[in-house]
Amino acid sequence: MYGRKACQLVKELASGEKGQLTHFNSDLFEQVISECQQHHLELQSLIRKVQEEGLDLQTTKNEDHFGALIHHLALVRNKRCLMAYVHNRAEIIRSLMWKVVGSMIPPEIQEKLSNSEEEYFKKHSARLKEYMSKLELDLTVDMVPPKDPYIQVRVLDDIGEGIVLSDDKTANFALHSIHFLKRTDAEQYISRGLMEELTG
Amino acid sequence: MLSEMTSYYDIDDILAEEELVSVVFQKAVNGVGIDPSSETDSVESGSKVELPFWLAQELHLRQVAVMALPSCFNQRTRLEIQADAAFVDLRSRCQFFYEFGCKIAPLVGDRTIGSWLLSTLKSRYKEVLTKAHSAVFAASSKYLALLSKEETKMYEAAQSSMTAFKKWRMGGPRFQRASFLSRKRKSTE
Repeated sequence: MYGRKACQLVKELASGEKGQLTHFNSDLFEQVISECQQHHLELQSLIRKVQEEGLDLQTTKNEDHFGALIHHLALVRNKRCLMAYVHNRAEIIRSLMWKVVGSMIPPEIQEKLSNSEEEYFKKHSARLKEYMSKLELDLTVDMVPPKDPYIQVRVLDDIGEGIVLSDDKTANFALHSIHFLKRTDAEQYISRGLMEELTG
Repeated sequence: MLSEMTSYYDIDDILAEEELVSVVFQKAVNGVGIDPSSETDSVESGSKVELPFWLAQELHLRQVAVMALPSCFNQRTRLEIQADAAFVDLRSRCQFFYEFGCKIAPLVGDRTIGSWLLSTLKSRYKEVLTKAHSAVFAASSKYLALLSKEETKMYEAAQSSMTAFKKWRMGGPRFQRASFLSRKRKSTE
């Protein structure tokens, strides 16, 4: 049936967990596009047929006209499904981007993106960085209002020595060491999974 | 044809429009492969074909084909719902029972559908809320399988608001996430 594959694509979006990306299904995506091209060709040939019979395209309502109509509707439907697929993914990508602004795309996300999505991610992230530097404000920290400006953290990965903090002191973030840091200093490491907050 | 409330990109709306409807063609159509019983690539006038709603609707509006009432809204379903609304399996009949019903209602010339959908929802709503607030997970999974997508969303909303309420009443940390939210988040990272 027409539009079945396109709907399959949308179903993939629906079956994924909210806010999560699945692999970009380029195989199915391409299949839908070639289905669209097929509809387009058949639509054109039906219209040509009406014209060759010397009938008026605007007023003729014969079986060829209705055939062309169905191909047109199938095209519009496929388009909506493709657009919804790309649009809803782009929304997820934008929300994921807030978690990793300023750093490279994490590989587990990157492998799920199509080429143009990757480019979108990079450019959008660059724009946001540019905006934040104009404002001189890091918008990505404190996404949840903090209760205390200082937090206790444990280092999960060897980050290194002599890292300069915002109060101009240096710290040695050796593996498994525990620190009492300004939340704003720790946040970037936590979001990259290099530290964890100790609670309670 | 989009109503004002739904978005062009709405996933549920797109899926709801994929539901099959049986139509009878009033006109002959050339050059399309939508009638599996036809050996040529054409549809004869009078043939009965199952089409997805997005296509059936447009053909119906242009009087190329006439749409029949889908079986999930037929008399048998109505009788079952009259008997015991809360435990009728809507999901297997139609995932988007209410959405689809609202789309169908103005087209098939049956004026009772709208009020019938409303009364169905009213009588099932009570059970959805009660189950969401009281049932333990193992017992609820069987019941959940009966719900349409719309009802499942209500069920989840009821559950998370109850969790939030309990937390608030206990005076616990006010900003903690409801448990089902953090479950969803976990696998993101």
